[in-house]
Amino acid sequence: MNHDGWLSALAHELRRRGVGGDAVRQVVAEAAAHLRDGGGNPMQVFGPPATYASAVADSVGRPRRNPGEVLLEARGITKKYGRQTVLDGVDLTVRSGEIAAVIGANGCGKSTFLAVCAGLTGVDKGEVRIRGSLGYCPQDGGTAGFLDAGEHFVLIGAGRGMSREEAVRAGHAQAAALDWEPARGKQARHLSGGTRQKLNLVMAGLGEPDVLLLDEPYQGFDRGTYLDFWHQVWQWREAGKAIVVVTHLLNQLDRVDTVLELTPARKAVA
Amino acid sequence: MKKILTVAEMALRELLRRRSVLLILLLLPLLFYLSRRGDHLGQAIRFVCLGLSWALSTAALFAGSAARGMEPRLRLSGYRGYHLYLGRLSALWTVGLLLSAPYFVLVLVDQHDVRYGPVALVMVLMVAVSAPFGLVLSSVLPRELEGTLVLLMVVGLQMMADPSSLIARLLPFWSSREIGTYAIDHTDTGYLTRGIAHGLLSAAILIAMVAVVSGIRLRRRSHLEF
Amino acid sequence: MDQDRRGQWLRGVLAPCVLALVAERESYGYELAQSLDAAGLGPIQGGTLYPVLLRLQRFGLVTASWQDGTAGPARKYYRITAAGRETLRHATADWQEFSAGVASILREGR
Repeated sequence: MNHDGWLSALAHELRRRGVGGDAVRQVVAEAAAHLRDGGGNPMQVFGPPATYASAVADSVGRPRRNPGEVLLEARGITKKYGRQTVLDGVDLTVRSGEIAAVIGANGCGKSTFLAVCAGLTGVDKGEVRIRGSLGYCPQDGGTAGFLDAGEHFVLIGAGRGMSREEAVRAGHAQAAALDWEPARGKQARHLSGGTRQKLNLVMAGLGEPDVLLLDEPYQGFDRGTYLDFWHQVWQWREAGKAIVVVTHLLNQLDRVDTVLELTPARKAVA
Repeated sequence: MKKILTVAEMALRELLRRRSVLLILLLLPLLFYLSRRGDHLGQAIRFVCLGLSWALSTAALFAGSAARGMEPRLRLSGYRGYHLYLGRLSALWTVGLLLSAPYFVLVLVDQHDVRYGPVALVMVLMVAVSAPFGLVLSSVLPRELEGTLVLLMVVGLQMMADPSSLIARLLPFWSSREIGTYAIDHTDTGYLTRGIAHGLLSAAILIAMVAVVSGIRLRRRSHLEF
Repeated sequence: MDQDRRGQWLRGVLAPCVLALVAERESYGYELAQSLDAAGLGPIQGGTLYPVLLRLQRFGLVTASWQDGTAGPARKYYRITAAGRETLRHATADWQEFSAGVASILREGR
């Protein structure tokens, strides 16, 4: 394997193991310098990229996460639409630095539950308490078709008290984490579905809210962006946020802290 | 204040990018004016004012509908309801006034023997009334289509109904006819005062309606506590 | 030397040895590997060395900074900290005691 191939594989393997972006750059650069100085086959000097990446990830360690204070607490959420009970006594507690996944078949009220937590829909019974600021990303929609990405950032940013430059800068930085470079002047209605969802996601996280409610925000994402999305979620977790993700794709469940399963048969199983 | 200005700025940008809406805004009053220019004195003025009202209400209707998707998010991001509708109204009023200016000049140049001051007053009042009227329609009716039909009815009725009848007085644009009569037919000031009162009252009521509907729709739900 | 045994011994002593070298002067990965080799520990692969450096850095025994090379690209230089010196002092004392014990056992067994 030549140097560049091995190095990019290393970078990939590091990121998959949740090593932070800056650390990845440093580790890869250091390995590159070592190979430049000493030559040799990377497979012999370092071993297979996956093995070396594991050793590095173990050495770098995961930052100690304190249990953290409760940032979101939903108790006894009950909602009926006419005669149909959509949510029956659902509870959820999410602490700082935790990710909660809300799963369930279609039509179980996952989106409704999230909308309730965000305060966008009323309930018949129950209450929600939130400590700190709130960010919400809908499944789709939620953008202004005739504005471009930068203008969206300014608009949301102004609500959170950010200056124009701050908001645009933060927005572009978060977009880069999702492998997206927003083009100036490109109106939201001209963006592809997946890109518009990236805009949605960036807007949800703009201004660093303490609690994030994400409703299957990865619609239209390709595989790479889907992984980037989870990477962003893990970074938010490291930063001490409480995140609730509605998902029906279960393969990342080993990386979340709590799972709330909503079943159509009324009672919620946590 | 900054929040209102930001909302206003973005609403303005959105509006200016909607070519079809702009086209309506610019051409509709002109078409109205030209259609009555040959008529007896002053009809063209009445019609251009009505055209301005209709166009601005339509623009407000579309702007309001388009904004609905973002409003819950903006609320979560820290905006209060009044930031949103005041910002939107400011943008619409600005556009309305900018739009009226050339039409006023047109009247100045093309029509004679009318009281120009009151004509300007009519245009200002119409701008004041049309913007919130369109916003109310957008927040009460689910789709732009229904809103456009209602606007069509209102404008049609305003044109056809006898100005002294009750129905005419209940319509938001009635003041334009009253003050118009004062300006064109040189009647007594009673027309002027009635018109001004109606115009201001309509504007106030409609703005209040916008505020109330916005308050209801974007209300902080009681189950959510921070 | 038996590579397996060497590997086991290295696992125990590599961290203090690296600390000692870095205590002497600021150095970067490749240079450290060469110094360790020259001192008689044999060739140390990058895959073995860098995780050790990362761990030392994580526990605050060394700090690192990127410096532009005079000829060539930037390199990550490691420097010992006060905590590192302290740890090194203890480790050296422990090792002297330990290795003296091992040496005496092995002499007996000859």
